[in-house]
Amino acid sequence: MGAPESAAGKGRDLDLRRWRDLSGVLALLLVMGWILGRMGFFDPGRLAGGLANFGRFAAELFPPDLSVLPAVLGALAETVEMAFAGTFLGFILSFPLGVLGTRTLFPRPVVLGVRLLVAMIRTVPSLLWAVIMVIVVGLGPLAGTLALAVYTVGYLAKLYAEILEGVDPEVLEAVRGLGAHRRHIVRYVLWPESANTILSQLLFMLEYNIRSSTVLGLVGAGGVGFYMQVYISTLAYGRLATVLLAVLAIVLLMDGLSAWARRRYLLQS
Amino acid sequence: MTATRPNPAEGPASTPAVDVRDLWLAYRPGQWVLKGVSLRVPKGQVWVVMGPSGAGKTTLLKALAGLLPFQRGAVEVMGFQLRGEPPRTFRRVVGYIPQQLGLVRGLTALENVLLGALGRHGGLGPTVGLFPRQEVARARDYLAMLGLGDKAGTRVFNLSGGERQRVAIARTLMQDPQLILADEFVSDLDLPRAARVLETVRALVQERGLTLVMNLHEIQLVQELADHVVVLKDGRPVYQGPADSLGWADFRVLVEAPDGGTGVGGR
Repeated sequence: MGAPESAAGKGRDLDLRRWRDLSGVLALLLVMGWILGRMGFFDPGRLAGGLANFGRFAAELFPPDLSVLPAVLGALAETVEMAFAGTFLGFILSFPLGVLGTRTLFPRPVVLGVRLLVAMIRTVPSLLWAVIMVIVVGLGPLAGTLALAVYTVGYLAKLYAEILEGVDPEVLEAVRGLGAHRRHIVRYVLWPESANTILSQLLFMLEYNIRSSTVLGLVGAGGVGFYMQVYISTLAYGRLATVLLAVLAIVLLMDGLSAWARRRYLLQS
Repeated sequence: MTATRPNPAEGPASTPAVDVRDLWLAYRPGQWVLKGVSLRVPKGQVWVVMGPSGAGKTTLLKALAGLLPFQRGAVEVMGFQLRGEPPRTFRRVVGYIPQQLGLVRGLTALENVLLGALGRHGGLGPTVGLFPRQEVARARDYLAMLGLGDKAGTRVFNLSGGERQRVAIARTLMQDPQLILADEFVSDLDLPRAARVLETVRALVQERGLTLVMNLHEIQLVQELADHVVVLKDGRPVYQGPADSLGWADFRVLVEAPDGGTGVGGR
């Protein structure tokens, strides 16, 4: 007697939940529509004009002007160097900061201080870091490399602290019980237990930095972004197309390489 | 020469290995997990702590290992008065094997055993992966002694449950402890295998004159292995006495006796 009754009750609950979910989705759609409307998204004249402009711009991109390819490739090589060097430098700083930000290892004030610092670094976008570094060390790839390094610290140090905190506390306790020093715990517990995830995040950061390093030249921080800016401002869209295609090629190549590295080295254990 | 730390070489009769007096411990204020535990373990004996889950067995062992702060009472282990974080010298004489063993799965068996020597080597060598040659030789000897000579280079995640237990034992022996605290570390093994591991440990302990305090579920093993049994229930010792005078029936009566709560909710 109780069973069908409760089944009916359950059915009603389910209906109620479905309605609640549906009205949630509807509310979300309304809010999005309102925001887009305020920006002029539903202004047909403006959008149609924009479409025409885009068509004209796209037409001018083709055919790509390949005469600038040698210069672009040189700058692209510089971009890739910046990404690698910046990611590496960032990693060198991120790991110790991540360790210092690990609650299971360091006292609260240290952890909070480090996390605050890292959060502050993360607040500044990479392009702004590039502007700052151009002011600090002058134009060129060094500024770009430093900007990427700092930006990397903002992300990796936070991720690493979280990864290291995820290590089984019983293992930490056991090794601490052996009389191990903190540096031993980092070397023999935290690193081996989380190396896979740490390196995987590092690869992700490298991919990200390759993409973001291409625009750092916009503010004079070295690499292929300089050419982008020049070609945009001189309306040389054919040449810009060459730059964009070269960037696309390098991004695809790097994604492929890191996918291969993951398969080859990280997934096996 | 009557400092807070008596000389351990004074002889087994003078100071007990473990001297606990009216120990009270709570993880959260007011929620007592240990409620006035007192026990005195003479050196060179094997003691087993039993009791239903939630009785506070693990908590007691962790407190003895200096891994948990306690609120009331006095705990003296191998001559060290425990209060707050114990000194590193304490770690050299007290070995602790947690329930889940606490092995580093990504390291090899040999590397895990070598971790037991870290308390003796604070220098830079071990930090960069270099241990003194004689320590490596000793670690290999322990592994061989426990039948793991050919597994030294195998990573822990590739070892079986029984092999892992033995790695944990080798790591503890590597510490050169005078007291070993072991928390149900054979609970994942079937009875015959658990018995074999425990017999090995018992023989080692006797041979070296060590003291062993362990939590154990299997009463069949207790009588063969232990000198003395403590039964803990709801944070209180309800029985202390020689192992051979406690039978399965007694244990059940002790644990199910309707005094106090059921011990559920503690640790």
